[in-house]
This record gives sequence, structure tokens and C-alpha cells, in this order.
Amino acid sequence: MTATVTTPRSSKPPKSPSAPDRRIVDAERRAKRKRAYERPGVLTYALLIAFFVGSAFPLWWSFVIGSRQSSDTNLVPPAVLPGPNFLSNAAKVFDTVPFLQALLNSIVISGAITISVVFFSTLAGYAFAKLRFRGRTGMLLAVIATMAIPTQLGIIPLFMLMAEWQWIGTLQAVIVPGMVTAFGVFFMRQYLVDVIPDELIEAARMDGASMWGTFRHVALPAARPAMAVLALFTFMAAWTDYLWPMLVLSPRNPSVQTALAALSASGGQNPDNAMVLAGAVLSVIPLLILFFVAGKQLVAGIMQGAVKG
Amino acid sequence: MISSTLGRPARSELTFRQKVSRFDYTFSPFLYVAPFFILFALIGVFPIAYTLNVSLYDWHLLKGQGDFVGLANYASVLSDPFFWNAFGNTVSIFLLSAIPQLVVATGIAALLDQAIRGKTFWRMSILLPYIVAPVAVTVIFLQIFNQYHGPIAGLLELFGLDPIRWAFDVFPSHVAIASMVNWRWTGYNALLLLAAMQAVPRDVYESAALDGANKIRRFWSITIPMIRPTLIFVVITATIGGLQIFTEPKLFDGRTNGGGDRQFQTIVLYLYELAFPRRDFGRASATAWILFLIIVLVGLISYAITRAIRTADVKPTRISAASVGAQQGES
Amino acid sequence: MNSSRSRIAASVAGAAALALIATGCSTGGGGGGGDEKITLSITTFGTMGVDASYEKYMEENPNITIEATNLEGGGAARDDAYAKIAAGTGLSDIVAIEEGWLGTIAEVSDSFVDLSDYGIEDVKDTWLEWKYDQGTTTDGKVLGAGLDIGPQGLCYRGDLFEAAGLPSERTEVAEYFGGEDATWDRFFEVGQEYVDNTGKAFYHSPRFFWNSFVNQQEEGYYKKDGETLNIEDNEVLKAQFAKIVEAENNELGAGLPGWEVGPEAKAGDFAVYMCPSWMLGIVQGYYDEGTTDSGWDFADVLPGGAANWGGAFLGVAESSEHKEEAAKLALWLASPEQQGAAFEVAGPFPSTPEGQKLVADTTNAFFNDAPVGEIFAARSEGVIAQVKGPEDSNIQDNVFGPVFDRVSQGEVTDPDEAWDEAMELLNQLVG
Repeated sequence: MTATVTTPRSSKPPKSPSAPDRRIVDAERRAKRKRAYERPGVLTYALLIAFFVGSAFPLWWSFVIGSRQSSDTNLVPPAVLPGPNFLSNAAKVFDTVPFLQALLNSIVISGAITISVVFFSTLAGYAFAKLRFRGRTGMLLAVIATMAIPTQLGIIPLFMLMAEWQWIGTLQAVIVPGMVTAFGVFFMRQYLVDVIPDELIEAARMDGASMWGTFRHVALPAARPAMAVLALFTFMAAWTDYLWPMLVLSPRNPSVQTALAALSASGGQNPDNAMVLAGAVLSVIPLLILFFVAGKQLVAGIMQGAVKG
Repeated sequence: MISSTLGRPARSELTFRQKVSRFDYTFSPFLYVAPFFILFALIGVFPIAYTLNVSLYDWHLLKGQGDFVGLANYASVLSDPFFWNAFGNTVSIFLLSAIPQLVVATGIAALLDQAIRGKTFWRMSILLPYIVAPVAVTVIFLQIFNQYHGPIAGLLELFGLDPIRWAFDVFPSHVAIASMVNWRWTGYNALLLLAAMQAVPRDVYESAALDGANKIRRFWSITIPMIRPTLIFVVITATIGGLQIFTEPKLFDGRTNGGGDRQFQTIVLYLYELAFPRRDFGRASATAWILFLIIVLVGLISYAITRAIRTADVKPTRISAASVGAQQGES
Repeated sequence: MNSSRSRIAASVAGAAALALIATGCSTGGGGGGGDEKITLSITTFGTMGVDASYEKYMEENPNITIEATNLEGGGAARDDAYAKIAAGTGLSDIVAIEEGWLGTIAEVSDSFVDLSDYGIEDVKDTWLEWKYDQGTTTDGKVLGAGLDIGPQGLCYRGDLFEAAGLPSERTEVAEYFGGEDATWDRFFEVGQEYVDNTGKAFYHSPRFFWNSFVNQQEEGYYKKDGETLNIEDNEVLKAQFAKIVEAENNELGAGLPGWEVGPEAKAGDFAVYMCPSWMLGIVQGYYDEGTTDSGWDFADVLPGGAANWGGAFLGVAESSEHKEEAAKLALWLASPEQQGAAFEVAGPFPSTPEGQKLVADTTNAFFNDAPVGEIFAARSEGVIAQVKGPEDSNIQDNVFGPVFDRVSQGEVTDPDEAWDEAMELLNQLVG
């Protein structure tokens, strides 16, 4: 889980320091807004382009080398144009590690974790946001407190548990420990507390709707945008995780990340760098697609997580 | 349903329905939160708690539970030079990543906090590295930082400089690992800071501008103080994440656990080495708890700092739910 | 020496893998049979092309399907094996085990079958006796069928030796170090001579030499029972340790504990390298493919007598559903023919005399056409089957390794002080 969220803060519009008569100021403010949001100069764009190149170069260069040959890694200046070998290098990836299996496994693992986290988080988040029950405050505090627990510190007993259940080497050993997150519950609660008016819940109850019915017909539709954001971040976190899958999955039945790690080690003293980088590119493609489809939502998710309350 | 089969009068059916409804109303909330708490108890709380138990025993990966040894595992970890080596490496890598990252992220955020053309494109572009998993980042940067081949070695050679032994010497290895963290997270943090900057009311800038403050002065005396809570938040999450860094140093030299001479072994890597290659679950568990306590301590300190700041200036600040997003650098 | 173990492991994996390539003469022909379709999984470590040999075996045994996993790096293979043993599930039917962690596996020997229940005793004589013994636990259980061994010779830079006024031809070099009676004292003497004449370091790290020395002793870090530590009051080890510290003080070492020393090798920053069979490929890997003028050569000599460094075994998991068939495949893979073929392609040296004969006339172009097959066969004579304890690799990696590094960096110069530091670490880690 990687998105950030902060506790609510005042939703009132911040007061301007000199708070004179509002109506007058408003008009002036609109006129001056242009000045505050200045049109940036060339330098801004130059710096942004430089940063963009820095952000994109490693990935692009991986693709470039992945489509050429290993000896091209040491070209000066670095190679910047792709070659013709990407498919043959990619084919070698599939020969060296069970990459197809890894892709399927990662899709199953990340998909199952995402569905589970989003469902349970919405359910509990809704209860915390809109339903009254004994111990609600205390339980919510417990959720907030447990958010701080780095669960990866529990890997030893978790490993023992998976061994006890004879799950080592199976996908459920990765899925089950990821099925809920305190963050998800908190995230959904924060969203739903504002977005659903209490009156709506009350009205549904007056109409004789069951609690489940209210959840399904009132809460779920309202929660959809937040669920989408939570799903995105959960999927990405599950897809990119390495430590736990490395411990419980077997090399025969890997995730994308453990397979890529094995690929990177292949070749010993004389690794086939072009193939390894082609593998790195392949491992990124699914999230790259996600990024192109939902990049805006990712950006918004990060920025809202930081600001909204 | 039962009532209808019994053919009771409508009135008592209503009563029953009300009963059901009340039951529904009272207990459903518990049913909704129960799955989370049950699962979390199993996969979150139990492991941490049971780690405490394991840490009090001689506990071997292959041979299982041994004698009760009290706090001996803790004493042995705390007097182990390798632990302190790992601690020092972790702090060093953290500093090398947090400081440049914060500076650059703030700068990028300030650039984006203007009336810029192609807003969405730029915001997305800086987030690109974030979708690359730490394993892939490490695999790619291993090539970039290859001592013999690779762009950086090429550059050094071009300028007639000696090759740098990235995976061998302490400081260069920390720099290389920190660059991986920086590459992946700077854009993400820039977006956080950008969001904070955009929440700064524009009229503050306006009046400052009217008072004759130039751009740079406005940045230092308005923007920075106003986004300080977010800055602190970013630092805290980076710290807690940085304390748990594993993937990058593990795969930077996959055959070792942080370098042939532990040049870049971090705390979690030390924990891993204890638990699996060295098969000492007892001491590994003690390490987990020590790390846990360090993280709690960091959390408390940051909470105190945030509070102090909040009381100092009365601006709306956010509570440090710091660790929420504190997965930075984690893997 | 984590990395060293991995290298060993890697090469060994090669053995496991390549053993399979030798297709022609399957010794494990008869028996078993049956038409039941069976899938056997095998986990090895290393890189080379095993697929063809698996296919060969599958051709000969149509009812068998082999599902192979090849891990790069012995560290990964070891950690995977530990985790799967701890979990009680998930081990492959056949698992390649490296010498360095065999002792640990032996501690929980019920995870692997006793191969003497599956006929290994019938072919016991194919192996070098000590190799066979090494795969046998103290209570007589045969855990693994030997694949390769790591007899050591001396890699040296003929060009640098010549420039330093030392002999450079390989038999002369061997003779100069003392031939059959080469001692460590003589080794340090020659080193001093080299340093005095050139002003450059002689070897790259004391870790390697220490490792060789320990392996030469009848009892290494552990007593013969494989349980009692044999370090603290061990005057032999302590004396050698002191000699190494002294050599370091005299600048014999280049202070390069790692393996990634290609540029330093090319630059001639050191002139000798301890070379078990699998190490040849590593040294060669520092140079471009096809290089023959690097100056490296290979001599039939090792100070202090014969010593083995590394080597692998194939074990059959107790959890396997097809122990019989798995054992049959393991023995086939460890047969002399397969071992011989493995050496030809990858360099892991056969642990069977017959396999060694098959490769006796192999030469190595990189090492100035040295007759490596012949030299390794000679170097494997007199090797002692040392009992490895559960913390053997841990002690090497975490006790002596770091102390030598500190000595190399000049942070400790007094032998007693350094030894005390090592003992402190020892008690810390194992005590």
C-alpha cells in the first residue's frame, strides 16, 4: 500500500491574513489570480524537461538495450535508439525463467488481493463512516493505530503459519496475508464520511431498506471513485512486492518480481544483459498499460490523499 | 417468511419485521467490520505478537523451538557489530535518499505550481518511475551502475576518471542504492508537495507580491512555511520506509546479503540473513522487534514535532498519521 | 565467504546440469521401468544447457517427465532449500546440495532419503572415497550422490612472474613453490620476494588462502563429530592466522576481498589466485571471450598439500512421491560419463576417477594451454574428507572474513589482537 492519506483538516476556506470585506476582495482576487499563477518562463520548461528525461531515461534505456545486444551497454554516449532484437531477447526471457507462469501468477495474486482489500475496506469503511455501533470510536482508533504497524516485521511467524498450513509454494501464501489493510479501511472511511449525507442513510432506513440493501444501493455507488483509487494502489503494491513472495513462492512457480530477480542472477559471471533488461521491460509493461489508462487517477489519488480530508 | 407461513395477522408480522430490522440495525455494523478485524488479527497482529514469543527462545529455522532464553537474543543482537553495521548503512542510505529527494521534489513541485502548459502531462511524467517495481529498478540500475560497462562507467572513462566500484566500496554502493530510491520516489513526493502548495491560498501570495516580495522570497517566506506539515509528513514516511529498505540492497548483489563485506547490508537484510541463511529465528525475531521499536520511536518523535509545530503556528495541520503511506523504499 | 559458496554452487550447478548432457552411456539403465507416467522435479544451480540431457533421459525413459528448475547462485539454492525443509513441503524430488551447507542438511537429515536404500552402495566404488564419505552422515546415512569436487591448483600470472624475476614456466613454478612438498611458509617467502622485486601485491585476498588452509586440516572448524567446534584452542589454525596477518602487514595482499576484481586482475594488481576447478571460469570471466594472452597460467601445486574447495551432491527429498525413480535419476546424473561431459563444457571437475579419466587430456587455452584435466586429477590426490559442521559457511563468512578485511585495511596489525577479535565474533555468532 503506497498511497498517502492524512487525517481530516478543516474544510473551511482558509482565511486570508488581512480578511477585509469579502465581496470586494473576491472581485479583486479574481483579477489578481493571473498574477499569482504566473506563466512560467523557458527555464521552468527546461528544468521540467530535464527531470522528465531523468525519469524516463532508465526505462527507455532498458528498452533500448533490451532490443539490441549486451555489449551495447557500454557505448559512449549511451545508446538511445532501439535495435531489432527485442522479440528475440524477450523469447530468451521466457526460455530462462517461467515468465508466462509468473505473469499469470502475479495477475491472480494482485487481482485477488485487490478485490479482497477493496471489498473489505469498503464494507468496514462504510460502517465506520456512517453506521452507529458500540465501540465504533475505539475500533476506529485501533485501525488507525495498526496502520503504523509495518506488517513485514511479522514475516517469521507468518512464514511458520504458512508452513503449518502447508501453503509454502502456493499462491494463497501470498494472497491471504495481503487480504486486508488498515490503510484501506481508513481510506474508505475518510472518503465515505463526507460523500454520503447521513440523511440519505436515514431515509433509506425509513423506507424499510435493510442494512445490506442500504450498503449496496447507497454506499457502493457513492464509494466507487474511492474504490477505484484504492484498487489502483493496492494492485500496484501487490504487483511490485518482493520480500514476501520471495520467501514463500518457489522458483518453479514464481511471481513476476521473483522471476525477474532470478533472471537477473542468471548467467553468473557472464550475464546476458540485453535479455535481463528485456525482462525488466516485460515486467513493467502491465503496470505501464495501467499507467497510460489510469495515470490521471493515480496522480489525482496521490494529490487528493495528501490534501483532502 | 416464517410468519407468513404461520399465517399470523398482519400486525404481528410488522412487529416481527421491526424486530428483524432492529437486529439488522444493531448487528450489521459489527458484521461489516468483523472480516477486517478477524483477518487483520490473523495476518497483522498475531505475527507481530508471536514474533515477541519467538524472540524469547532459541528458535532454529530447521530444528524449531529450543530453550527459553529470556532477553538473550536481544542482548546478542544489540552487541552484534553486524547489527550496528546494518543500522549505520540503513541510516546512511536513508540520508542519501531523503535529503536530495526532498530538495528536488520541492523544486519540481514549485515548478509545477505555476500556470503551466500541459499540466497533466508533466504530472504524469514525473510519476512514471513510481510504477516500476523495486526489483526492476534494481535490475536496471545495476546495469547503469555497472563498474565495467554501462553509461556511468562510460562517462567516467570519457573524462579520464578511474572506474568506481559501485558494488564493492561502501560509500559508492550507498549512493547507487539511494539513487534507485530517489529515482522511484522523487516524483511521487513532488506530487504530494504540489498538492500542499496548491492548497496555499493565492491571496497570501498576492498581498506579498503587492508588498514587493519577489518570487524567490515568496517561495521561502510563504510556500515553505505553509507546506511544512507536508514536508514533515514526507520526511516521516521516508524515514519509516527507509528503515525497512530491503529489495534494492538485496538484489544489488544478489549472491550476498548486502555485499561481500556487508558494505550495504540494511537492517531488514540483516534480519533476513539471520532468519534464513543463518537459520536463527530467535535472533531474527529479536531484530524484528528492535526495528519495530525504532519505528515506533520515530513515529512518536515525529508526532511530537508535528504537535509542537502545530501549537507554534496555529495553521491547520494534519495529524501525523505518518506511517500510513510509509512504505517508501519498502518492498 | 558467501559469494565463494555461491560460486562454488554455481559451478556445481553446472555439474548437476551438465552431468545430464552426457547422453551416450546411461549407467542406470535397467530396473524400475513401469509404464506409469511420472513427473520428477529437480532443482539445481548454475547456468549451462541442461535441457538436452533431460530430454535424453526422458527419451530413454518415456514414462518420466523431468521438471527442472535451475537457480543461479548457490546462496539462492541454499536459502530455498532451507525454507522448503523448514516448511516441510515444496522441495523438489531431487535437490542439488553444495558441500558448504551439506553439514546443515545433515542436521535435519530426515528431510532427505538414505540413498543406500536405493542402491548407491552398489556403485560406491565409482566415487573417490572421500567424496562418498562426505555425502554420508556421521550415523552412516548417504544423503547425496557426489557430482563434482574442487581440487585446487595455483593460478598465476606468468608474465608478471617473469617480470619479477621468478620462474614463469608452470612446472618450474610448481617446483619453485616446493612441488609436492610446497609449504605455506615457502608461499609467503615467494610472495615476499615478488613484493620486494615489484612493489606490487602478490595475492588479492587472504580469505582464499585461509579457506584452503582450513580445508587441508584433518579437522577444520569442527571436530570429526561435526558438532564440536575446533577453533578456539586450535594452535595450528592460530599459527597460520598469525602468518597471514604478518603477510598482510608486509603488503603481500592487495586488499580486495570481493570477487569482482576484473580491472585489478587486468591491471596486474596481484599475481596469484587460488584455483579450484570451478574458479578457472571465474578468472576467465574477467576477460573478453576468446582471450589467450592474459598472462594467466595454471600450476600443479598448492602450498600445504592437497585441498578441496567446493563440490555438490544430489539428494532425494523424503517428501518425494517417487523416491525410487528420483534416486535412479540422481544416480544417473552423478555417473562418471555425465560428470565427464559436464567438465568438458563447464569445468566442474568429476568426483569419480573414471570420469576424471575421460577428461584427462583436456587443456585450457585461456591458461596458456595448461593441461587442466591432468593437473586437477593430480591435485585431487590426497584430499581429506573433512567433516563440515552446521555453521561452517557462517564461520567462514562472518568470523574470519571480516577480521581479515580489517587486517587487510590495516585496521588491526597485531596477530593476537586480530585473533581475539575473531574469537569474539565466533562466540557472538555461534557460541
